[in-house]
Amino acid sequence: MPKRNIIAAIVLILAGLGYGYMTAHLPVRTLPNTPDPSFFPWINTTLLLTLSIALLIQGLVQAKPRGSAAVGGGAGRVWAALSLYFVYLLLLPPLGFVLASAPFFAALMALYGERRPAWLVTGGIGVTVLLFVLFRYVFGVLLPRGLLESIVP
Amino acid sequence: MNEDIFQGLVQASLPTSLIATAVGALLGLIVGMIPGMTISTGIIVLLPLTFVMPPDISIALLLGLYVGGMTGGSFSAILLNIPGTPSASATAIDGYPMAARGEAGRALGVAITASFAGGLFSFLCLYFIAPELAKVALQFRTQDMFSLVFFGLTIICSFAAKSLVKGLLSGVIGLVIVTVGQDPVMGTARFTFGEVNMMGGIHFLTAMIGLFAIPQLVDNLTGDAGKGTQTRIGSVFPKAADLKTMRRPVAIGGFVGAFLGILPGAGGPIAAFVSYDYTKKASKRPDEFGKGSVEGVAAPEAANNAVTGGALIPMMTLGIPGDPVTAILIGALMIHGLAPGPLLFIERPDFAYGLIFSFFWANIFNFIIALAGLRVLVKALATPKSLLMPTIAILCVVGSYTLRNNFFDVYVMLFFGLIGLAMRWLDMPVVPLLLALVLGGQLEEYLRVALTSSKGDISIFFTSPVSLGFLSLSVVSVAWSFYAGRDRRPKSKDGNTT
Repeated sequence: MPKRNIIAAIVLILAGLGYGYMTAHLPVRTLPNTPDPSFFPWINTTLLLTLSIALLIQGLVQAKPRGSAAVGGGAGRVWAALSLYFVYLLLLPPLGFVLASAPFFAALMALYGERRPAWLVTGGIGVTVLLFVLFRYVFGVLLPRGLLESIVP
Repeated sequence: MNEDIFQGLVQASLPTSLIATAVGALLGLIVGMIPGMTISTGIIVLLPLTFVMPPDISIALLLGLYVGGMTGGSFSAILLNIPGTPSASATAIDGYPMAARGEAGRALGVAITASFAGGLFSFLCLYFIAPELAKVALQFRTQDMFSLVFFGLTIICSFAAKSLVKGLLSGVIGLVIVTVGQDPVMGTARFTFGEVNMMGGIHFLTAMIGLFAIPQLVDNLTGDAGKGTQTRIGSVFPKAADLKTMRRPVAIGGFVGAFLGILPGAGGPIAAFVSYDYTKKASKRPDEFGKGSVEGVAAPEAANNAVTGGALIPMMTLGIPGDPVTAILIGALMIHGLAPGPLLFIERPDFAYGLIFSFFWANIFNFIIALAGLRVLVKALATPKSLLMPTIAILCVVGSYTLRNNFFDVYVMLFFGLIGLAMRWLDMPVVPLLLALVLGGQLEEYLRVALTSSKGDISIFFTSPVSLGFLSLSVVSVAWSFYAGRDRRPKSKDGNTT
């Protein structure tokens, strides 16, 4: 945990410096003796840097590791799920909701332990189509149709 | 009867509102009982469905889910010894031993009845206290509102018990995020990087979906929650002797729950454990606690349901969330153009009273559905994660897309999901960030308007008695968070106590 605190503190200090740099370059539009748009961001910058330095000091002086709440076992599956999510979001606009979601759903089912091919196919297509119909035709949410635009009303 | 109250009663009692409340209670019971699903996540997943509904129907559905979720958490606590929600943790102490000795139905009946009694008590508190508190809050000036919001933000300390620095950092990150977009006073674009989609700022519901749901999906990928149950349930209707035994624990739980619900940051788990402790001390049979005591089930269940009405009081009258769920409810109301706070009772009294009566109906439906449908409901405990979690993953995308029909929000949701995971990796609580997202904008606006009116003189916050009072309460709140009961506070991994 101390190592994680140090890494996080360094990242946050850099983020705080970047935020402070951008705050310094905000346009000044204000009345005399009144706080301008950069007033609150300066407070945030000060707090962020102060607390990040405190975290860094904690990480440096903390000798004994404390309990971890990290991802733990199954890290491979976690990375696989996140990668899938990322690819899914990239494919969603061009392919549309149904075509992108069905394989994503089936792949996630497999990651969560489902091994029966029939269930994977049925679950992937069935749930996706059900959600699409429910949101598009019942709730009026225009989920993207993508490649199916010419087929799906 | 006052006309506004009557209008509220009529609005909450319309068939559409009643159906929404009942459906919400049913969904809440299911969400609450499934280990690995919190009420917050349930509400976030359901939110997209409510965008297209009128606000009164929408809030009735969400209130039903809130109330049902509190009760549903006890089902898995009693049957599996796995609390469905952190608020049901104390229920497992005596509920599971009762189930283990073949009295699962009796324990569930006691839990449902105590939940109902606690919920009704908190409804009365909400009905009588909220309108009066709103009248008082109407007298507040800008500097008072700043100090009030600041006081609300001291909830952060309640979620920073493990590390003050990390809790505060989480809150500050939230405050940084709310500065993205146009500033609330001058309308100057800040930190938008020229991106048009960021001019309106980061929508905090998008952020919430990512922060809460994505880490939960990961949790369920690595954990082992959600195994089915074979426990035989038996009769769930409490016997007269049990009802008699429950009187004192329900009274203690009701008072403790409603009181702690009003206090920002306390929430269901603390109320449940405090009332369990008080009931044990007041009991004639304290040695039975931990071995399957009816009192030990009734007290925490009355308390955690009493918290719901208590938490709605500061939400409705001051615009300050009492717990993470009410923070999300504030967001849901804002989506419908309604700002919780004292003006709600002036500008939309029908809606304000409608909300109060919807809360009443939520408790009624929760009781009826839980008792009558228990045998069917517990089958949800066997819902395979392989079906539930991918559905939630897709609903997260749909939910964030639906906000503005925009893929940008979907990417923002994933970005916040990654932030949520990073915070988990660091053991940093996510609730302070959520609270900062909800309250940060108001904090800046009130601060700048107050300083503008005083021409930059900060003594304005100390010369107003109300403002000074809230600032003093903030100090007390921080001290109370760290020096009282910190070690007995249970926490879920994300610091989300509901």
